[in-house]
Amino acid sequence: MDPELIRDCVHCGFCLPTCPTYVLWGEEMDSPRGRIHLMGQHVEGTPLTDAMAGHFDACLGCMACVTACPSGVRYDRLIEQTRAVVEREHVRRPDERAIRALVFALFPYRRRLRAMRLPMRLSRRLQPFLEQVHPSLGAMAELAPGVPRPVRLPPLVRARRRRRARVGLLTGCVQGEFFPRVNAATARVLALEGCDVVIPPRQGCCGALSLHSGREAEARRFARRTIATFERAGVDAVVVNAAGCGSSMKDYAEVLAGEPAWAARAEALRTRDLAEFLVELGPVAERHPLPVTVAYHDACHLAHAQGVRAQPRELLRAIPELELREVEESAICCGSAGTYNLFQPEAARQLGDRKAERVLAAGADLLVSANPGCTMQIAASVRRAGKGEIRVAHTAEVLDASLRGLEPGMLGRSPH
Amino acid sequence: MDARDALEATGVAVRAAGDGDEVAGARPRWVALPESAEEIAAVMRVCAAHDLAAVATGGGTKLHWGAPPSRCDVLVDLCCMNRVPEHTAGDLVVRAQAGVTVEALARTLAEGGQELALDVPVPGTTVGGLLATGIAGPRRFRHGTARDLLIGVTVVLADGTIAKSGGKVVKNVAGYDLGKLFTGSYGTLGIIADATFRLHPLPAARAWVTATVERPVTETVEPYVYEGKTLDTTSTDVAASLRAVIPAVTESPLEPSAVEVDWPDVESPCTVAVLVEGAAAAERAKALCALMGGGLSDAQVAEEPPPWWGRLPEPPVPDGPPGTGGAGGGEILLEVRNIPYRLAGSFVGPFMAAREAGVRAAVRGSLASHVFHVALPPDTEPGRVAAFTGELRAHMEADGEGRVVVLAAPPEAARRLDRWGRVGALPLMRRVKERFDPDRRLSPGRFLGGI
Amino acid sequence: MSELERLTARLAAVLPPDAVVTDPVRLRTYECDGLTHHRATPGVVVLPEAAEQVAAVVRLCGEHDVPFVARGSGTGLSGGALPRTDGVLIVTSRMRRILEIDIPNRRAVVEPGVTNLAITEAVRDRGYYYAPDPSSQQVCSIGGNVAENSGGAHCLKYGFTVNHVLAAEIVTPDGDIVELSAMDPGYDLLGAFIGSEGTLGIATKITVRLSRAPEAVTTLLAAFTGIEAGGRAVSAIIAAGVVPAAIEMMDALAIEAAEAAVHCRYPAGAGAVLVMELDGPHAEVEHQFAAVERICRDSGAFEIRVAASAEERAAIWRGRKSAFAAVGRISPAYIVQDGVVPRTALPRVLAGIDRLQEEYGIRVANVFHAGDGNLHPLVLFDDAVPGEAERAEAVSGRILDLCVEHGGSITGEHGVGVDKARYMPRMFTEDDLDTMQLVRCAFDPRGLANPGKVFPTPRLCGEVPGVRRGAHPLVEAGLAEQF
Repeated sequence: MDPELIRDCVHCGFCLPTCPTYVLWGEEMDSPRGRIHLMGQHVEGTPLTDAMAGHFDACLGCMACVTACPSGVRYDRLIEQTRAVVEREHVRRPDERAIRALVFALFPYRRRLRAMRLPMRLSRRLQPFLEQVHPSLGAMAELAPGVPRPVRLPPLVRARRRRRARVGLLTGCVQGEFFPRVNAATARVLALEGCDVVIPPRQGCCGALSLHSGREAEARRFARRTIATFERAGVDAVVVNAAGCGSSMKDYAEVLAGEPAWAARAEALRTRDLAEFLVELGPVAERHPLPVTVAYHDACHLAHAQGVRAQPRELLRAIPELELREVEESAICCGSAGTYNLFQPEAARQLGDRKAERVLAAGADLLVSANPGCTMQIAASVRRAGKGEIRVAHTAEVLDASLRGLEPGMLGRSPH
Repeated sequence: MDARDALEATGVAVRAAGDGDEVAGARPRWVALPESAEEIAAVMRVCAAHDLAAVATGGGTKLHWGAPPSRCDVLVDLCCMNRVPEHTAGDLVVRAQAGVTVEALARTLAEGGQELALDVPVPGTTVGGLLATGIAGPRRFRHGTARDLLIGVTVVLADGTIAKSGGKVVKNVAGYDLGKLFTGSYGTLGIIADATFRLHPLPAARAWVTATVERPVTETVEPYVYEGKTLDTTSTDVAASLRAVIPAVTESPLEPSAVEVDWPDVESPCTVAVLVEGAAAAERAKALCALMGGGLSDAQVAEEPPPWWGRLPEPPVPDGPPGTGGAGGGEILLEVRNIPYRLAGSFVGPFMAAREAGVRAAVRGSLASHVFHVALPPDTEPGRVAAFTGELRAHMEADGEGRVVVLAAPPEAARRLDRWGRVGALPLMRRVKERFDPDRRLSPGRFLGGI
Repeated sequence: MSELERLTARLAAVLPPDAVVTDPVRLRTYECDGLTHHRATPGVVVLPEAAEQVAAVVRLCGEHDVPFVARGSGTGLSGGALPRTDGVLIVTSRMRRILEIDIPNRRAVVEPGVTNLAITEAVRDRGYYYAPDPSSQQVCSIGGNVAENSGGAHCLKYGFTVNHVLAAEIVTPDGDIVELSAMDPGYDLLGAFIGSEGTLGIATKITVRLSRAPEAVTTLLAAFTGIEAGGRAVSAIIAAGVVPAAIEMMDALAIEAAEAAVHCRYPAGAGAVLVMELDGPHAEVEHQFAAVERICRDSGAFEIRVAASAEERAAIWRGRKSAFAAVGRISPAYIVQDGVVPRTALPRVLAGIDRLQEEYGIRVANVFHAGDGNLHPLVLFDDAVPGEAERAEAVSGRILDLCVEHGGSITGEHGVGVDKARYMPRMFTEDDLDTMQLVRCAFDPRGLANPGKVFPTPRLCGEVPGVRRGAHPLVEAGLAEQF
């Protein structure tokens, strides 16, 4: 916890209304300003108490406060540093430790995730039982999406017509396993817009979950491996369609600050969110009409961590006959937040319910978001509200449908 | 030294009180004419030492308002405090002594192209009287009332303490705002010596739109069948045209500065007049005229206000046997406040109350802010005044929103009614009075709850 | 066992679970509001959810003779919500329901923890808004606005909180729930309560006036080479009889900070910018715009930008609204000052501030509501440099002296709080302050509501009827004299 970064906070409170936990509980110590104050107390010598750790753990890391902060406080860095301190110094309850071990042994590994498919198919039925065993297990079961048919992507997808760029595609662990159609759509859209798309087959986890949970060493290991993989691919840019992955890859240089050679290599790697990249590139492919109303959900790791808000909206608005609707409180996190809905299921559920209510109020046919975690979280919240299955799609899938002239009715029908 | 000598010894001009010096029927013994806050303080110190009760007056135009004081020894006449010591046009601020009349103040300010954006409805009212009664006119809708334009005040307390609050800048949150507390306090907390107001530039142009409504209150007779018998029932309501037009005008983006009604007799037609101010006033008035013409008759634009604009209602000339109570002392004046949505209540209330009490009533006031004054003929029988007040309250206060205050009534009528009606925080008000004037020497009994 | 401990033990009985904070680490997060150089860890923090709970806590405070302080979002800049180590901090952040929106009557009824901006957001679709707009409007609470009588950039034309609150339900320092309404005859207790900085009680329900959104809004930015030229333009605009909704001025240093923070892209080379807003009926705004544009050019504006869209309007305002916190980008520490001078004295006072900068070797960035002469000098310093904080503090105080000398005020909108109580005697005599405190004595004779704020010396109110006590602890401690 860098005291200099803590000192940047002038205590103005502009972050309060943007903080999901402050919105829920209305207390200072569960706001960014309060958490920074707690960090300050620790730096000044107050030992890390259970109360303190609890307030840090309750932070979703959505970074809405970073967007709101007029003083430029690097809360993102501060909370990452703080989580590392919590991991080192705080002794968690045995059940918390077990759940965390399970999650970190599972999610960053695609093969292990794949092995989970059969149990997952059963898990929704077992949810009430799992909930009793541990709320986190219940949350996991509740969130599990329908299990999709696997999609195999070729290592290279050639640009249609004139080639304008050569890009690498990060397939992501959760995105790749649970939403493979999103990766396929991303590759097609990029190809139709004139990109050669390199999809390294042996790519691993980008390290986002570890990084956002204070597991620094593990995060660095994943980061180095991902950098090396895309260096070998020889691409102009790495395109990422999962918000959480994109935000952590953009932080690689800071994550690897202690290893200057690696930091330099990270710096050289041009990471772009898909929407950001497509807007920079400019459209060439024809957009076919897509008569559908769309509610766009800002994924925190896209809107707040990467500042990508306008681009996805711009892409969606450019589709003829598509009507874009805003979701009220769009800057407030849905409660997914990486592993948050697994470790803090109660708060996550409250936020999910709040988000689901507003998403449904928008009255759109289709919910579009750029993060698999958000999609699962909001879909689960809508199910919990007894409103059935909400149609959800990734920005890439909507673009893909328009570029290929598909029926909008195809979009967002589960299972993926 | 007796009290008179002590008063003389202050150096302040003192004279014996005469017929014209009565305060709601109570005659003081002496009249003191201080020329500064310090002189007021000197008078008040003598009052404290000799246990004299004092009442402040300016133009004397509203001395008959409110209850008579329970004690009244000295009338502190502020007519000599009639200077405007500070008017910096560039700051849009003026400081005036309490005895300056609003007319004189307006003349001074107009030289700098400015005005105090209050339309004080009683001619001859002084700055002090304006504040003590908190009275306001049509543009309260746009600019608020005296409390909203007052930015600083100097007061003299019962013990002779001179205190000021606020200042001469528009924006200022240092300390408590005594100006607000003194505004509308009927002289019961202290004597206002001078006041500082924020000003507005005189508008580049003004225009009025007027229209008439033949029957502001409609009565519909409908047959009603009950157990085989057909009965007639009468339902009374505000005219549909008013119901449609008034909210459209007040909420119009054309931003009228005031929306007033003059209803000289609740059995007769009424006139609605709308004021527009600004460089484009003529153009906006035309648009408002079209809007009003949609529901009201004779809608027209005028460059001059209607003759009744910004004045209290004149009581209807009674058609019964003569016997007027005379001007001033016999005045019967009520103030009605309501929330905008209760438009119907504001019309139907006085209409029904007048009918049920068997009196004639004139209504005038703001349709935008929903503050109206109601005048009854001065010789109205006391019992009927009380009955009218009671009926009106029943109509207006029924839902807890409206308020009816009897500003002026002859003693005989006043004895039979409650002047102030519903008051929310009387115990706190009493505590404020106890702290400012523990010995009850300032206008005792003039205000609500015997304050 | 102290009285505070005895009281704390009873709190659980009157509050919902999780509404009493006693953990020392948690308590410390409430040690200051937006003004961080005054700190005090509260004895206990409560987070009530209803007026009855607030009243119950206040009554307990009375029974145990324990002071209480109310806090909303904790954004105040005068330490008005600075807690008492020996007292209860009553935080209204969980009382944030909008209870009623009543468009036909142009009003909304809200709980005190509702943010200022939330009201506007709730009625914007219907064509209305809540007029007072302090820079912190996205976070500051209406309860706090009532306590401080908050203004904002648009109060030049539209007035302050006190002009827009129609009624308030308050918990008095006795623990009674009382309704103060502008409709009621009698003393304007509502007017006296608003701006009393929590010393007369706690507002638990507030009825605000909603204003009709203007037909046209024109936001423009005029860039000048220096603040003298900008000041000339402001005077000329006022003299021309134009009352803009807002006229804000920023000097070069403030512009630099805002640029660093939010990339507001104000014109390069500007020594001062005026951010102005004209609103009203289309036809009037056109007239006013023509006048304002001509005056700005005549006064030496080298660039005038007019916002063509809501985004551009927001972009122009972004620089101004973030200016305070943005100064954090160019200086390790700073003091936000808040003083007022008559508009005509602005040039002299700004020249005076320049002299102070030279005399003390301290930089001052100026951001101000030029229309009403409300200055917000930002006094920059580095607390790592020995003596600099003290010099900055001195400059800050001298600026207030300048304001008072020129007939102004020591605070235009941030309030007196704990920070400026000591400056009150520069503006008011002892008699003035004692008279103000008569109101305090009427509401709170025992001085339990936010003691130590606003007034430099508490006035003892004499005996409370029916209760006899020993000497007041402040008298015993030699901190106050009995009147």
